[in-house]
Amino acid sequence: MSQTESQRGRAARLLDVLIPAVGVLVLVAGLLTWWRATQHDADEVVRAELRDTVLITATSQIETMNTLDYRDVDAGLEKWQDVTTGTLHDQIVEQGTEQAPLLEDQKKISQGHVVQAAVLDLTEDTATVIAAVEVTVQDGTDLEAEPTVKRHRYSADLVEVDGEWLLEALEQVAVSIS
Amino acid sequence: MTEISETSESPESTEVPEPGESGATGRPAGSGWRRWVPFLGVLCLVLGLGAFWQADRARDVDHVGNHAVVDATGTAEVQAAVSQILVRVFSYDYSDPEPTQRAAETLLAGDAREEYELLFENLRQQAPDQELMLSAQVQVTAVQQLSDDAATLLVFLDQASQRTTDEQSSVSAAQLSVDAERVDGVWKVVGFDPL
Repeated sequence: MSQTESQRGRAARLLDVLIPAVGVLVLVAGLLTWWRATQHDADEVVRAELRDTVLITATSQIETMNTLDYRDVDAGLEKWQDVTTGTLHDQIVEQGTEQAPLLEDQKKISQGHVVQAAVLDLTEDTATVIAAVEVTVQDGTDLEAEPTVKRHRYSADLVEVDGEWLLEALEQVAVSIS
Repeated sequence: MTEISETSESPESTEVPEPGESGATGRPAGSGWRRWVPFLGVLCLVLGLGAFWQADRARDVDHVGNHAVVDATGTAEVQAAVSQILVRVFSYDYSDPEPTQRAAETLLAGDAREEYELLFENLRQQAPDQELMLSAQVQVTAVQQLSDDAATLLVFLDQASQRTTDEQSSVSAAQLSVDAERVDGVWKVVGFDPL
């Protein structure tokens, strides 16, 4: 009797240790898995938001870069400067003063409209966006005339500078058959 | 010293085995926190399993509706598939129209199939006389919308056409909005719109 008693005691003591040990283990593992599951999803949500932000920003900036009114070239060029950075920005600043009279003489009113755009590449602070753009050009000397519509394909590189996404390069995707 | 008196009594009380009591041989028994340890253990176990279940649910619930760019592998996959399809169906050789025809039959579906037939109906009739050759090339393509089995892409496509008879050749640039769907694991183009 006393032997079974001590066996029972040992078994009970083992259970005393085993159940809590397994319980704590499962709890820790479970919480860790849960945390990782939500964390992983959170990363994707952040990236999806960044993609959408970049797309909206790029769309408006590409439209800005395709918009100019000969009656106020300075204001137009200033907007170009505001949405660009790096070499592209410097080019606009340098060439702007030279070309402003030329642009005024052409007497054109251009209005850019991005028909479709999509993000091609995305890192935390750089992005490439492609866009199908429609530019409506109105002849300033003949406002009654039907405006001409031009279609362009653009590839734009953006960088994040102090929390703001700006155009670093904007190029037309040329036709090339190899 | 109460412990000893308890142990000496225990042989009589074996008929009523209370877990806390019987395990208490030689220990401060019955009363105290040890009695609750197994229950806490079970509680931990249950909460732990609950956490696993929550993790599973969190993985199932999709907070990202659009996986374009976010899912790099899926994005690259549909980009490659759609590029290949467009190149195959928009390239044409009057002397060997079979591959183009086959590609259109297997890789286009829905509206895209109908629209394509309209576009190519005349072309097929005239092609042999004109000795028409078309070669398509995708310049760049990016994914706008991506879910498990549907995608929308923006595609910049170039197409060169050559007519041997009148030595005319031209190159055209197109911007297409393309809808794709995955059917039995294979991406197919179900719609395309020139922009």
